[in-house]
Amino acid sequence: MKRKKHSKRTWQAAVATCTLALAASGCASGSDSADSGHGPLVIGASVSLTGDFADNGKAVQRGYQLWADSINAKGGLLGRKVKFKIVDDLSSPSQVITNYQNLINRDHVNLVFGPFSSLLTVPASQVAKRYGYAFLEPAGGGPQVFDQHLHNLFFVQPAPSVSSGDVFAKWVLSLPAGQRPKTAAYAELDDPFASPIAENIRTAFEAAGIKTVYKQVYPAETTDLSPVISGVAAAHPDVLVSGTQSNDAYAQVKSLVQLKFSPKFIFMSNGANSPLEFPDKVGAGNTSGIMSAGDWYPSSTAAGSAEFAAAYVKKYGGTAQQIDNTSAEAYSCGQLLEDVAKKTAKIDNATIIKSLHSGSWPTLLGDLAWNADGAPTSEFSLVQWQGGKLLPVYPAAKAQAAPVYPKPNWGG
Amino acid sequence: MNRLRAAGPVAFFATLASLPSFNLAHWSINLLIFTLMFAVMSSSWNLVGGFAGYPSLGHAAFFGIGAYAEAIWFSHHSVSSGYEPFLMLPAIGLLAALIGLPIGAVAMRTRADVFAIVTITLLFVVQMFAFNLHSITGGAQGLSIAPAPFPAATYERPFYYVLVGLLALAMAITFAVMRSKVGLSLAALRGDEDKARGIGIRVTGVKLLAFTVSVGLTAMVGAVWAYYEGFIYPQFAVDPLITIAMVLMTFLGGRATLWGPVLGAFILESAQQYLAYRLGGSQVYLIAYALVFLLIMLLLPRGILPTVQDRIRRRRRRQAVDSGSPTRTQPANAAATAGGGQA
Amino acid sequence: MRHVHTLIQGVILGVLTSGVFALMASGQTLIFGIMKVVNLAQGAMVILGAYLSYQLFTSFGLDPFLAIPVTTVIMFVLGVAVQWLFLRPLRKDDRSELSLLITFAVALLIEGVMSITWHTTSRSINTGYANSSWSLFGYQITLVRLWAFLLSLAVLGLLYLLLNHTRFGRAVRATVQNPESAKLLGIEADRVSALGFGLGAATAAAAGSVYGLLYPFNPGSHYDLISKLLSIVILGGLGSVGGAVLGALIASTSSAVVAATVSPAWSEMTFFVILIAILLVRPQGIFGTTVRSA
Repeated sequence: MKRKKHSKRTWQAAVATCTLALAASGCASGSDSADSGHGPLVIGASVSLTGDFADNGKAVQRGYQLWADSINAKGGLLGRKVKFKIVDDLSSPSQVITNYQNLINRDHVNLVFGPFSSLLTVPASQVAKRYGYAFLEPAGGGPQVFDQHLHNLFFVQPAPSVSSGDVFAKWVLSLPAGQRPKTAAYAELDDPFASPIAENIRTAFEAAGIKTVYKQVYPAETTDLSPVISGVAAAHPDVLVSGTQSNDAYAQVKSLVQLKFSPKFIFMSNGANSPLEFPDKVGAGNTSGIMSAGDWYPSSTAAGSAEFAAAYVKKYGGTAQQIDNTSAEAYSCGQLLEDVAKKTAKIDNATIIKSLHSGSWPTLLGDLAWNADGAPTSEFSLVQWQGGKLLPVYPAAKAQAAPVYPKPNWGG
Repeated sequence: MNRLRAAGPVAFFATLASLPSFNLAHWSINLLIFTLMFAVMSSSWNLVGGFAGYPSLGHAAFFGIGAYAEAIWFSHHSVSSGYEPFLMLPAIGLLAALIGLPIGAVAMRTRADVFAIVTITLLFVVQMFAFNLHSITGGAQGLSIAPAPFPAATYERPFYYVLVGLLALAMAITFAVMRSKVGLSLAALRGDEDKARGIGIRVTGVKLLAFTVSVGLTAMVGAVWAYYEGFIYPQFAVDPLITIAMVLMTFLGGRATLWGPVLGAFILESAQQYLAYRLGGSQVYLIAYALVFLLIMLLLPRGILPTVQDRIRRRRRRQAVDSGSPTRTQPANAAATAGGGQA
Repeated sequence: MRHVHTLIQGVILGVLTSGVFALMASGQTLIFGIMKVVNLAQGAMVILGAYLSYQLFTSFGLDPFLAIPVTTVIMFVLGVAVQWLFLRPLRKDDRSELSLLITFAVALLIEGVMSITWHTTSRSINTGYANSSWSLFGYQITLVRLWAFLLSLAVLGLLYLLLNHTRFGRAVRATVQNPESAKLLGIEADRVSALGFGLGAATAAAAGSVYGLLYPFNPGSHYDLISKLLSIVILGGLGSVGGAVLGALIASTSSAVVAATVSPAWSEMTFFVILIAILLVRPQGIFGTTVRSA
């Protein structure tokens, strides 16, 4: 019995090895052996449809799908209809590896787009790299993504996430000396997307002489920020720089209101840039004057923006003000494919990787360009809440209103 | 009789070991890798939760400790051939066992439900340390391990083989335990610890042995996982759902059996990956998982293998009674715990 | 001087927050006392209560405090159903081990249902008074927390009355103290268990309404809660409601003080330090009876 198994297995192994060798030589040339150049163009993506990142994941899905609809209405990409194969990664890094393995090696998709969040982008991008796939990703901008030095990766946002606060620092330091804040407090969430942003601002501020009077980093699970904000209030800073995600941004504002402390400037790296959630969670009257960073806003004049906003509202309802910019970032990934196809008349992975590494490419988020590690080299805009609306106020070229300072008091 | 018994496991492992050379697609090997991870972890959990009867709900803490140990070590040492992380495994297992020793000594002074609570707490404490000790663990920013320099075509294989090896180790240990005095002691204290102590069994020593070996193995899987992922974060390295998966797989297959946990792992992990790929988007996933869990607990409280063995034994007995001949009934103990369920 | 101020502010915060935790923990410890079951779904039930309040608030404008009578009834029924469906079928000897896993599975089930119904965005109940606060001698007392504390006291008071002055309460206490004798006296263990579990779920609902006012929550919030609750009930002694209240007070205050004076990062740790300490020093908890080994 065992001997039979052995010889059978040896024979199978021999056949398998030959097949493997042939397949390997085919793959080594770098082209998609599965892509015949006809038929639909299938783009695979693992997106968090359940779990911690679910709401953002769904925004990403909407952006991808919307782009597919728009390009198919125009006849497809190089004459081929675009189809998305989107799978759920449960917001889990183990599942995301499995998903990209399945998409690339079992379903043989032509191209892939990235998942939501740096946490999932890092392992996913490694899988894509092993098989020579370009990796356009709308939501993984933490430094660990670029530390991988991957040539096939492109972060589709204006700048790496940790730099999103730099535009605030730039603006503050551009103010005449008499109007600048003298003291600063920092309340930071221990999170790869939050704390580093605030820290970058702190470096710039301290170098310019703005004194740090309070700094506290709190862990991700903290629901009660009253102790931290008490400390902030007690220090009476002119400016509060908050490295936040969404929940803690809301909690910080609520605490500030409860403690009746209103600094002259407030910058929140995230949470405050959410057009729908923020006023809902902290009270519409409390948003006035708070600043954040943004890359897309409804009245933007960037390439394809009006069309995107109209299509979004038509398909998903609501108003343009309620569009999550995560969807805009996802949509931009598709726009990049359009741009490459238009310029090179080809749409395979190798061409995408080669093309995007030079020149600048128009998208909803403005013109994008990348360095060798996939980090984008443009900058975010500074946005501010004025009269219940989130408006870009700096730099001047993109501003739709003048920045208001000092910040109005709570409730008005 | 013994040689026939040995043929089963040998065939199983031989098949497992040769699978990659069948030119299995990368995604299949990937699936097998995760399945094997859970098979090893379930087998090791079985030592504490199954044989000793102490349901640990915090084993994932040691998974995390193993993962972080590996990542921390290799953030200071380089990976050249790609095999160094595997060579570190025994050291990591030992480290985890040493850490587990005092913890087990304190935790196992309590009875089952309080023990479970203590282990859950341990889980959250380890997670908290992972989040807060920035300088060592990188905190919420996570920790990276240099990607393995294996060629893309055979990238998964080294991981796969290492895990097959770990599974063989876990099962060998389980088998040795079952056949030795240790196994008898564990069975005795699982039934009634006070009485066991009364008749002179080294209860504390045996319990601790099971615990430390179990956590050592779990930590080694964590280390392999960290290397495979390439980048670890506290909330995923120390995740209560990992413990639940281990426990569920062992329960499904049959506690205190040799092949039960492995069977449970193969069934559940493949099902889970499949469900996630198919149903994930509709958010029914978590509910389906919980329902499966509940059904197994309520309908198959003893797990598949013991239930199947019971049925077989009952049928044989009935046949013997019907035919009127004296039955060669095997002692219940051997059948239930020797786990000769496979071929 | 600033340090003392921060310290006292922390104590005030801790005491006010302890009400909610006392309420949650009392349900948990009661369930253990009656059924000897550690209910790992208690946290999930609290969050479910929070969601129910949230829904009543957004759909009907019903203030969470006023919604409590409604949510407690709903959750009571749910609790009885859970006990009857999932816990009663367990055999006596398996009960201890399996109940842990079963209640955990129930927690996952509840989490899944909440994810589908309300999605995973964080919610909070934003009543008009959610952000108002009083100033007392230079210390800020948030109105919501104060009401939460008073409400928790009220509900705990009701619980006390229920346990000590009704027939059902007497049956419960008898079952907790000596299940065998209770049965001999004609008390139906099954019925007491079912109603007891329902009661535990009802207190979770009340706590949930309050919790939703104080903190943002999402379906996954229950993990955090359950680990804190377990520490509290063990500190107080499994099965003792008075112990749960005292335990909540101690744990919550210590945690708030650590957050205010040291750093928020280590405030969660306080719960666990307390747990380990009590297990080493007095494993049965403050008001618990001596633990039988294994």
